[in-house]
Amino acid sequence: MKLRTIIAFGLATAAVAGLVSAQTGMKKITIAAFPSLDEAVKIALPGLKKKYPNYDIELTALQYGDHHQALTTALATGQGLHDIEAVEIGFVGKFAEGGGLEDLNKAPYNGKSFQRLFVDYTVAQATSSDGRFIGMPADIGPGTTFYRKDILDKAGISSTELTTWEGYIAAGKKIQAKDKKVFLINSAASAAGLIWRSNIPSGEGIFFSKDNKVIVGPDSARWVKAFTIAKQIRDAKLDAKIGEWSNEWYEGFKGGTVATQFSGAWLQGHFQNWMAPDTKGLWRVQDLPDGAYAPWGGSFYTIPNASKNKPEAWNVIKYLTTDRAQQIASFRGNGAFPALKSAWADSSFNEPVEFLGGQKARLLWKAAANRIKPLDVNKYDSVAETIVTTQLTAVLDEGKDIKAALTEARAEIEKRARR
Amino acid sequence: MISPAIKSEVPQHWTQTYTRWQRILAPYVFISPFFILFLIFGLFPMIFSIYVSMTSWDAISGLGGMKFVGLSNYKFLLDGLFDPSKGDTDFWKAIRQTAYIAVISGLPQHLIAIPLAFMIHTGMKRMQGFVTAVYFAPFVTSVAAIAAVFGVLYSERNGFLNWFILEVLNKIPLLNSIITDEPIKWLGNKDMIPISISILVIWRYTGWNTVLYLAGLQAIPQDLYEAAEVDGASKFERFRYITLPLLRPTMFTAVTFSILGGMQLFLEAFLLVDRGGGNQNAGRTSVMYLLDNAFNNLLVGDAAAQTWVLFVIIFSLSAVNNWIFNKIRND
Amino acid sequence: MTKFSLPNLAIYTLIFIGGVLMIIPLYFMLIFATQSREVIFSFPPPMLPGSFEQIISNYNALMEMTKGLFWRVFWNSFYLASVATITTLFFSTLAGYGFAMYDFKGKNWIFNIVVATQAIPAALNLIPFFLIMNLIGWIDQPKALWFPGMASAFGIFLTRQYIQSAIPRELMDAARVDGCTEFGIFWRVILPLIRPALGTLGLISFIGVWNEYVLQSLILRNNETRTLQTLIRTISGGTTVTNIDYGGFMMGTAITVLPLLILFIFTSKQLISGLTAGSVKS
Repeated sequence: MKLRTIIAFGLATAAVAGLVSAQTGMKKITIAAFPSLDEAVKIALPGLKKKYPNYDIELTALQYGDHHQALTTALATGQGLHDIEAVEIGFVGKFAEGGGLEDLNKAPYNGKSFQRLFVDYTVAQATSSDGRFIGMPADIGPGTTFYRKDILDKAGISSTELTTWEGYIAAGKKIQAKDKKVFLINSAASAAGLIWRSNIPSGEGIFFSKDNKVIVGPDSARWVKAFTIAKQIRDAKLDAKIGEWSNEWYEGFKGGTVATQFSGAWLQGHFQNWMAPDTKGLWRVQDLPDGAYAPWGGSFYTIPNASKNKPEAWNVIKYLTTDRAQQIASFRGNGAFPALKSAWADSSFNEPVEFLGGQKARLLWKAAANRIKPLDVNKYDSVAETIVTTQLTAVLDEGKDIKAALTEARAEIEKRARR
Repeated sequence: MISPAIKSEVPQHWTQTYTRWQRILAPYVFISPFFILFLIFGLFPMIFSIYVSMTSWDAISGLGGMKFVGLSNYKFLLDGLFDPSKGDTDFWKAIRQTAYIAVISGLPQHLIAIPLAFMIHTGMKRMQGFVTAVYFAPFVTSVAAIAAVFGVLYSERNGFLNWFILEVLNKIPLLNSIITDEPIKWLGNKDMIPISISILVIWRYTGWNTVLYLAGLQAIPQDLYEAAEVDGASKFERFRYITLPLLRPTMFTAVTFSILGGMQLFLEAFLLVDRGGGNQNAGRTSVMYLLDNAFNNLLVGDAAAQTWVLFVIIFSLSAVNNWIFNKIRND
Repeated sequence: MTKFSLPNLAIYTLIFIGGVLMIIPLYFMLIFATQSREVIFSFPPPMLPGSFEQIISNYNALMEMTKGLFWRVFWNSFYLASVATITTLFFSTLAGYGFAMYDFKGKNWIFNIVVATQAIPAALNLIPFFLIMNLIGWIDQPKALWFPGMASAFGIFLTRQYIQSAIPRELMDAARVDGCTEFGIFWRVILPLIRPALGTLGLISFIGVWNEYVLQSLILRNNETRTLQTLIRTISGGTTVTNIDYGGFMMGTAITVLPLLILFIFTSKQLISGLTAGSVKS
């Protein structure tokens, strides 16, 4: 008897509790991201709260590599995923091919109608070979050449000389002649990396053709050029032999011992915030050499199949990616270059960038973003990248023959991709 | 202890049977938690990864995305050893580099720790605790924190090490003729990378080995030393003829740990030179390589096969170590 | 006992220099935690701690970068490492005792299996481990990380070795004559005698769990239960962090090491005096 009363009472309490939560109706939506995309979400939280007052949004961030590793593990088992998972551009092509993320082209999302709002290449990058669209683009990183105007002026170089690789190398020699301590670029490998991933015919990949043939090799003009230019830079002792994201790299910028850097537009924010705030006014930007247009980073939001709150997740993603005011706020607050084209009409894009000596740099980046072409993604891309990087180091550091290195790289990539 | 109350109620032979049986069963009960946990959390993952090693799997397509490929992942690995044009040579390079780092970081640890432990044990009275604490302190840090500090110390232009070599040692007459006046690329040069990683490993684990050896030394009866001293044995002779032979079980333990740890080295190297292992993959250890394959290249099947080949290698090395120590004991 | 002599002097000098080398990186860790980024990377590097204002500024930068999660996450790590240590101490020692003090059928084989499990590279068990935790619904729960490791092969190996060499078997018979059950012998006789080994194993377990981050980053992906190492990694820099304050980051890493050092100071006395002062046999 007594027991029954207790159970009945318990049930009643539970029912009441259920009622209460149904009344408040708070829905918990979880977002997993990585820095600094988590900052962009954070900036959007007040706006989201206003638009969807009954969403209780929980945001967590892991380190870039840890986040994608955790996401891969969760996708492997199809469980333990957040309602919204952020994916970086380096992974989005791979993840599109797996089946664990929702196809946003389908109902109820009907993402197709939103695609025209974004820069073309981002949409293509997040679309699988069989046409599934898995990630809404949040931000992009149009590639650009950063250069120190003061150093160029001192050596009597006009910045237009940097628009061809011959001019670029010649400028480096002049800079060295003026001051032995100043280098043209952090590492010859950076130039090679830019060449081999730009000016690629549409539909082709960096390492593989559409029909999965290896296109790295001594017969590929693009690959020979990448290795040759890098070798010329190294042989003329124009590079400081510094790895990116190392202490020496930051020091190079701060001390003015590196004159140029190829990177995404977002590097300006890093310069300004912490890498070299004292160099304000000394940097300028322009298009990459030889008419190259290349993406440098970018992020997407995806919805896993296992998400329990798909409609709500979709609402949140739509707000984060297609709300113009929101994209502008995140650009102003966090320096994330919007993937949403209409956001570019904001007045801030016409404003001169003080850090870049008043240059209207954002107009340049806007134009560059429109000309970036999507790259065909292959599942062996990251394997191939490790292989060519190793061969390039052998060429630069040990004087290995370029043709031999590329032949070896091809054989090595083929060996793996054949399986 | 059995309470007197129970004792009076229970017939004598029952308590005897109980005592006997609990004595026979006790060890099995004591070791069972390990095996129960291992069956649940260890064995299933092993069986799973054996199966995965025989598939082609990219993980992100879910469990249904596995394609059975038989032993071809293993064949690709072994071909790397016997027929480089067809197989995975990078795996064996990673194994080689790992073994190399394990040796140049492992040997010094023991060569320092054994005499150091002996000195602490026999020579120091009041300073014993302090010296042990100082040498053990590096072990009591987090690898992530200390790798960040080492990264700064190793910095080519602004690092403490290069500053010390170029600005201090190089200013000393005589020394400056044999010391380089070029900044050393601690983490940039392919020959330096394994050494730089090893310095971190030696720094962190020498104290740990010293403590292991101290624990072994204290088990050696003191009267043996006293008898030897009465017989006029020098300190070195006591070390050579009493300590070393009696320290053998501890050495076995410590060397086993070094082999297991050294061949699975990951974090120390990864945090210093990142996933590619730096210039010419010089610092890419086997575990780094297989994790990179699994989570960056999404070649989970290959990575699983690599794990099992690595397991066989580590297991064989431990077996050889076991055999050597047994042989020394029996001789 | 030791007389002053030249070889002795040489040996002590070596030990002293070695000791200094052991301390230098730790010293720099503390120095960096109190300096700004500019000073940390200046040449020559800073040798002395920074000003009080800089320390406060680094601390504030750390709190800012970790978005107020720092101390809560610190507690999560502490809780996880403590529970893991206590359970490991009990179950590993129990098994180590079983292997050391009893003769039973198949003992050597069984022990070899325990040792062999250590040779399995843990790296690739990540995916199946995650799968199991999903099946039993332990994702996002700390117990997923301490429960499976309660009886560690390493701990069993260590305690078996120690008990074998330090405790005579006659002690068991004496305890049995006194009427102890087998577990009673372990609890009342063995455990108190092997305190130094417990100190060592406890410290190692704590450090191990405290420093682990791969499994923790897979299982604890939410702000309520996530741990310190994954948080520190999140602010550690790289392409995606737009504003890293290196001084604040160094402050964070130094704070992560602090509990380990404190724990060490507490256990070291027991650890070292147990190791050196008197053998348990005497």
